[in-house]
Amino acid sequence: MIAPRPYALLAEITYRCPLHCPYCSNPTQTGNDQELTTDEWTRVIREAAALGVLQIGFSGGEPLARRDLPDLVRAARQANLYTNLITSGIGLDDDRLGALRDAGLDSVQLSFQSDNTDLADEIAGSRAHRHKLDAAAKIRAVRIPLSLNFVIHRRNIDRLPQMIALAESLQAERVELANVQFYGWAFLNRAALLPTREQVVRAREIATAAKTRLAGKIDIFYVLPDYYEKRPKPCLAGWGQRYLTVNPIGEVLPCPTASSAIPDLRFENIRSRALDWIWRESESFNRFRGTEWMPEPCRSCPQREIDFGGCRCQAALLTGNAATTDPVCELSPNRARVDAVLRELNSLGDNALDWTYRVNPKVVTVSETAVSARR
Amino acid sequence: MQAPGIAGSAQPKLAGGVRLQTDSKTGNGVLLFPEGVLELNETAQDIVSRCDGRTVGEIIQTLAEEYDVDPEMLRADVQETLGDLQHRKLIELV
Repeated sequence: MIAPRPYALLAEITYRCPLHCPYCSNPTQTGNDQELTTDEWTRVIREAAALGVLQIGFSGGEPLARRDLPDLVRAARQANLYTNLITSGIGLDDDRLGALRDAGLDSVQLSFQSDNTDLADEIAGSRAHRHKLDAAAKIRAVRIPLSLNFVIHRRNIDRLPQMIALAESLQAERVELANVQFYGWAFLNRAALLPTREQVVRAREIATAAKTRLAGKIDIFYVLPDYYEKRPKPCLAGWGQRYLTVNPIGEVLPCPTASSAIPDLRFENIRSRALDWIWRESESFNRFRGTEWMPEPCRSCPQREIDFGGCRCQAALLTGNAATTDPVCELSPNRARVDAVLRELNSLGDNALDWTYRVNPKVVTVSETAVSARR
Repeated sequence: MQAPGIAGSAQPKLAGGVRLQTDSKTGNGVLLFPEGVLELNETAQDIVSRCDGRTVGEIIQTLAEEYDVDPEMLRADVQETLGDLQHRKLIELV
């Protein structure tokens, strides 16, 4: 199979994070390997640009936990990449923001847990909300484009109007109201996080009305929890088609959640292979590329080039087999598994379950200090 | 379809956070913006690369001279392209 050209690299530069959000999509178990060094990341960035990548998202964990972030942004700009920082905002003081701006940072996506301080801090497991409001104001002041990302779930979905109002007052250009997708810690905490059908219907109405009202002012994107959809999401626009992820220890992944969701797939490491070879030739990138791998009902489905059979990680998590139709699809022989989850959840009524907070991995860091923990 | 209401005197410019650059893989122009890439065709690239303070009327005039055609034949195309880019918030009209 001839590999297409990738457009975007997600650089997960560390799994360390001062927040403990129970919906985090990071792996719940990570190894003891060393994080990539500045030089290794610089090489990844150059090799990605040579492959055709035009955009890079610095993510994590909390990318600000790495002191060398401005160096990495500068390397990405030198490689002509458009640079996005995906951050909690914790640790973004004037000095660091100035250094990032001087390095050429193009845009920031700032996460929020709620509009309400107490609830937001409870969800984050950390007194983070006020720092986020500060961070948003600082980003606005240096005129870097700002997107806000609210992760929506059972405990905050009823505050959608207030969250939209906060986005308006912070003068964001773009707001994502994204229901939790169930990977990593979120999969573990699914029963506590998945909203009820009633909540989802109401939230969609509110988001649609806000989208119309704020058209031309703020772009609003509402992402449904896909368990309530009839057809699967077109995950990553297809496996190994447009996106790649490099995780903190150098594994190159078609999707950030693949390393934990699909344990039987072996992922190559940038420390032992060139990125070009991994993208084009590796088994992990070719396993689900295109339509050849598809079983029925995908194989003969007119939607197969539109939704690509949905999400491989979700198929693996819900059925134990990544090479099967995403069970969210109403045509999947496994849809009953999703319906059973929804039935059980919706029968809980107002009794929300407890969640398990994310804990930080034991990653060895070299010549690095975690700056964010002090905040 | 002609986009409504783009005056010949309007000065289009790239919106904040939007970058025009040449894609080294294809040699074509691309617009880069938060979480997105728009690959431009040749005409769109010719138009966008002239969104530098010139008015819409001046852009049409310059392109007409370069392509050696009547400006009137270009007007609808230029307005449609600019209208589309404005709708996507990739350019602003000053």
